[in-house]
Amino acid sequence: MNELTEAMQNINWALVAPIIVLQFILMVVALVDCLKQNQTNGPKWIWIIVILFINLIGPILYFIFGRRSN
Amino acid sequence: MSLIETSSLGKRFNDTEAVKQLNLSVREGACTALLGPNGAGKTTTLNMLTGLMKPTEGTIQFDAAYEGDRRNYLGYLPQYPKFFGWMSGEEYLIFAAELAGLPKKQAKISASEMLELIGLQDDGKKRISGYSGGMKQRLGIAQALVHSPKLIILDEPVSALDPIGRREVLELMKRLKTHTSILFSTHVLHDAEEVSDDIFIMNKGTVVIEGSLRELQQTHQKPAFFLETEKSPEEWLHTLKEQDWVVDWELDHHRLMITVDNMEKARANLLKDEHLHELKLVKFEVAKTSLEDLFMKVIS
Amino acid sequence: MMRQWMVLFKKEWTESLRNFKWLWLPIVFIVLGVMQPITSYYFADIIENFGGLPEGAVMDIPLPTGAEVLAGTLGQFSQIGFLVLVLAFMGTVATEKTSGTHIMVLVKPVSYSSYLTAKWVHILMLTLGSYVIGFSAAVYYTFLLIDQVPMSHVLSGALVYAVWISFVMTLVLCLSALFNSSALVAFGSLGTALLLSILSMYVPELMMWSPGMLSSHSYSLFFVGEADEGFWLSMGATVALMVVMMVSTILLFNKKELAKDSGA
Repeated sequence: MNELTEAMQNINWALVAPIIVLQFILMVVALVDCLKQNQTNGPKWIWIIVILFINLIGPILYFIFGRRSN
Repeated sequence: MSLIETSSLGKRFNDTEAVKQLNLSVREGACTALLGPNGAGKTTTLNMLTGLMKPTEGTIQFDAAYEGDRRNYLGYLPQYPKFFGWMSGEEYLIFAAELAGLPKKQAKISASEMLELIGLQDDGKKRISGYSGGMKQRLGIAQALVHSPKLIILDEPVSALDPIGRREVLELMKRLKTHTSILFSTHVLHDAEEVSDDIFIMNKGTVVIEGSLRELQQTHQKPAFFLETEKSPEEWLHTLKEQDWVVDWELDHHRLMITVDNMEKARANLLKDEHLHELKLVKFEVAKTSLEDLFMKVIS
Repeated sequence: MMRQWMVLFKKEWTESLRNFKWLWLPIVFIVLGVMQPITSYYFADIIENFGGLPEGAVMDIPLPTGAEVLAGTLGQFSQIGFLVLVLAFMGTVATEKTSGTHIMVLVKPVSYSSYLTAKWVHILMLTLGSYVIGFSAAVYYTFLLIDQVPMSHVLSGALVYAVWISFVMTLVLCLSALFNSSALVAFGSLGTALLLSILSMYVPELMMWSPGMLSSHSYSLFFVGEADEGFWLSMGATVALMVVMMVSTILLFNKKELAKDSGA
């Protein structure tokens, strides 16, 4: 456990923060869009879970496969 | 002067001839119906007129007064119009108008006029993905009209609609008739009778009957008698065939329809026919054949 | 003619704004671009802490050079990046054909070449834009964490790789125009890109002309500031192939019947 906290301290958060922020933006946009859609490809609740719990890939999967084009 | 004219137009898919030897001419200022059962080749014909399909035979001639690509002067509504659901109705109309060559400003003005015409002014800002079938159909007509084409071509404009949507679209077409030429296809005679001036009846890829609605009604609405008897009239029919006033007849068990050329003469003759009385008349009715009968006859 | 082209181009643009492609594609590329320098930088730490090395074992893992990290970033782009790009654009024409929305566009006095080239330019702008943003992030992090690479090397290498991306995206558009199945488009274009890259790697002497050589040329540019032998050949062939693909796709698209032969 000590080693873990040490490693965490070693990480320069200023470098990693932009990635986390971008991932967060992506997640929020995907989530809002998903909730606003009348219908998604497949059950909506699954997409919400995918967006929320699969980092980065989840929202992208939603944008590629989950949205209905028409 | 006809707006668009085809001569011996033909379309072959592999070894089926969807359209053959088709001669069609659409008058400017008229509403023309292309009437026929499913599979008669109506959609294929319209697709060739719009340029979406290339004919394998024959030619299509647009009025020479209008130069260049005939798509400039055409508006088209497919049988199942598909829109970009992410656009609003108004955006789609502006898009369609600009594609047809209208400048941006004019496209906007024209789009809002169209929305009013089809009664969607309150829904113009909504996304098309939320529209009902009837709304989409009306938007489809609007996008065909938005650049004020010389001719609009509508493929089965009412057949997918419920009775209310159907009524709306037919009424809209009646209003449009006054300022643009219309060519539409339908498999329902009643729709053709209601709005069209000219009718082309198609069957098996070719035109079987053509003419103005009035002409067709006059020439094909003949006086007729409907008879129903208890005994089979089959034998008696042989004697009847020899009469000169009989034009045609149709027998369905004990029911008989006789088409005649002179009603007075026919009535007098029939009523004094001894043999007919022996068959024990159940029903004797004087009527007229309708376009429906004609339609059924030519397509069967 | 030009006005119709702009209308079609604007429609593509609005569509990709509405379905958030302009947002998530750049983000994907930024994240991909930043990952490589950061993981390289912390690689030693990670191994040390979680690698289960015996206590007291001293392992000296050297930091990779800046050029290696940039090349590694492009390697990421060639895998996950391409996958995402192809999936994002496989349906560009194919879904319009299957849904039938293209009929109402092409029945207007619009030339088929405008219809296709408007889509083409839009795809290139969006993908190259995302690539530029993502790669800029990679360069920034690499300079910050690893070491500097001469700017002229970075720019020339990045430019050459951009041509490779353009080639793959042109392929995607062409296949999308010719086939109705998006899956087929995805397999076709990813398969071709993969095949070209692999062949270029194993039989480079036969594949001098290949667009697949461009990524290794861009790596050389990072490392030494000069491309390998045969650079202009593969560059010229790639541009020529793109032109040929676009022209023949437009011709084939012109020949194809737009309406389905339902016969009804």
